[in-house]
Amino acid sequence: MTSSLDTREEEAPALHTTCGGIEFRNPVLTASGTFGYGEEFDALLSLRSLGGLVTKGISPQPRLGNPPPRICETAAGMLNSIGLENVGVEAFAREKLPFLRSCGTRVLVNFFGTTFDEYVDCGARLAALDGVDGLEMNVSCPNIKQGGIEFGRDPTVLGDLVKACRAVVRKPLWVKLTPNTSDIVSLARACADNGADAVSIINTITGMAIDVRTRRPKIATVFGGLSGPAIKPIALRMVHQVRREKIPIPICGIGGIQDGIDAIEFLLAGASCVQVGTQSFVDPASAERIVREIEEHCRAQGVSDVGELIGALETGK
Amino acid sequence: MRYFDARVIENRSLGGGYFVLRLGGCESLTGSRPGQFVMLRGDWGRDPLLPRPLSLLSVAHEGRADLLVKVVGKGTALMERSPPGSRVSVLGPLGNGFPVPSADVADLLVAGGVGLPPLFMQAESAGRLGMANGSEMLYGARTSRDLVLLGEIRALGIALRLATEDGSLGRRGRVTDELEARLDHWRAAASPRRLRIMACGPREMLWAVGRIAQSCDIECYLSMEEQMACGIGVCLGCAVAARTRPYLYVCKHGPVFPAAEVMAYAPAASTSQSEGGAQ
Ligand SMILES: Cc1cc2nc3c(=O)[nH]c(=O)nc-3n(C[C@H](O)[C@H](O)[C@H](O)COP(=O)(O)OP(=O)(O)OC[C@H]3O[C@@H](n4cnc5c(N)ncnc54)[C@H](O)[C@@H]3O)c2cc1C
Ligand SMILES: Cc1cc2nc3c(=O)[nH]c(=O)nc-3n(C[C@H](O)[C@H](O)[C@H](O)COP(=O)(O)O)c2cc1C
Ligand code: FES
Repeated sequence: MTSSLDTREEEAPALHTTCGGIEFRNPVLTASGTFGYGEEFDALLSLRSLGGLVTKGISPQPRLGNPPPRICETAAGMLNSIGLENVGVEAFAREKLPFLRSCGTRVLVNFFGTTFDEYVDCGARLAALDGVDGLEMNVSCPNIKQGGIEFGRDPTVLGDLVKACRAVVRKPLWVKLTPNTSDIVSLARACADNGADAVSIINTITGMAIDVRTRRPKIATVFGGLSGPAIKPIALRMVHQVRREKIPIPICGIGGIQDGIDAIEFLLAGASCVQVGTQSFVDPASAERIVREIEEHCRAQGVSDVGELIGALETGK
Repeated sequence: MRYFDARVIENRSLGGGYFVLRLGGCESLTGSRPGQFVMLRGDWGRDPLLPRPLSLLSVAHEGRADLLVKVVGKGTALMERSPPGSRVSVLGPLGNGFPVPSADVADLLVAGGVGLPPLFMQAESAGRLGMANGSEMLYGARTSRDLVLLGEIRALGIALRLATEDGSLGRRGRVTDELEARLDHWRAAASPRRLRIMACGPREMLWAVGRIAQSCDIECYLSMEEQMACGIGVCLGCAVAARTRPYLYVCKHGPVFPAAEVMAYAPAASTSQSEGGAQ
């Protein structure tokens, strides 16, 4: 005779989740800029085991990126200033997409522009491609027509940008928010009000590091984006702030996730799925391991469907 | 390229902060080329976070691989203290490697400080092909304490010439002084074999070697270093300015580059003498 506990253990917990108009086999995706175009990781983990992957950010034209040094390690994290270097829409469609079409997991393409028109043009062209399940807009890009201020910092500008892209993108459209703001909730609301399907929270946090011997910044552009475990508490806080305000679109949580427990914290805070970024450099097979760890946690806690965890945070309020 | 767990089977201190880490379980590295490297991370929790790039020193049968490491910071200090049995994760082999030795070419292998490993492995591979006696290694560092594995290098059958900045062993001066002297010698000897230079060491040394090669119109390869996060061409962190494209990636297009590819952006020759030796 099997005890009830045994039966529970035999039944695999349901891991599939839906976020922003896309169904995923589990809530673990890989983050833009940390997973190339997927192909590079094919020999290192099973792409089919992942919920999905997000490509390196694509712009209408190829971009060269910033001068070196571009990265440096910091306490429990790293700074990067890659400069959004990428192959451009055309080369992406020609050289990278054929692999992605058959890679066995959901594909979101991260994209950006330096003007309104570039965003709209890039979004429309990418959404038209077969094999692209959805788009993620990176709005942490300087607006060259407005003094280089990031599009994603002002809710009004952001709302207009989302609306313009929404009009041409007939596929799921997610917006990846910048944490370099004092009001993440207004940014998320601007996305929801203008037709975005989900928000990804968060992109990197602006930071810097100094080499005291040479008295120079450790990366050439002086400031860079901080990622890794160091930013996780901030990312969690922002996910939860948006969730608490009942913004009517789902959240994809990102920032410093290293293991299944970190991922579950994001689900509890209100994310419907998560992305693993810097950790793929630390341990290139980690996204697959994190899926297993979430499953193990669900089993151990008697959670039969991972959906039960989403937003299940108890604050006692 | 594979991602796998290996074990430290021996950790041999060479003094002066240098040590040789012998790993077992590296069958996946069989067939690696001199100049290729691995991303290595110990079982040390979250700090330091990123794996560290290390060149292969030697890859032998039965999954054995040797690395020569110098302690410069947290990660290398933790490696130095890793006892036999410690688990490490390894991603590799990565990068391209040096051109293969050839019977009609005399290779001058120029190593500065902890830039030795890829050239050691190149000499080892020349030895295996029966070509070690046609090449020579020029090895320089700050002091004699920074010149390591001398017996092992000689055992490869390659001529070895040393330089130290303090004159404690070999020529007093920089390894590039020795290189110029050897080039004079080879030209005077009017050898029928073509000369070729391969170098690895601190960046100032590489630029100096590159300039010498350019001025003598000699084929030259430089093994470069840059800060790395992924080692496989996805983070785009390890960019170096290049001639044929704005940037090349050390981990993917290198670490070995034809000197002409990267020299175009080298700073003009400086009078600074201080960075010619060890890192
Ligand atoms: C392709 C490649 C092959 C390498 N092969 C070897 C090798 O065979 N043996 C070996 O001992 N080292 C090698 N290095 C250098 C080695 O990766 C660094 O010394 C190591 O990452 C330092 O880690 P750490 O945590 O000890 O130092 P950190 O605490 O990260 O840094 C300490 C100091 O070292 C400097 N430093 C850090 N990384 C580098 C780097 N990549 N190059 C130069 N200085 C650096 C920092 O600026 C700082 O001043 C190689 C580097 C590359 C890119
Ligand atoms: C090297 C590097 C490159 C990145 N490139 C992009 C990018 O092109 N577009 C984007 O939206 N985010 C980019 N990011 C941000 C990540 O996708 C992620 O939001 C951030 O790193 C936080 O997650 P993490 O702490 O798990 O890394 C990049 C991050 C890193 C470290
Ligand atoms: S180290 Fe990531 S691209 Fe070279």
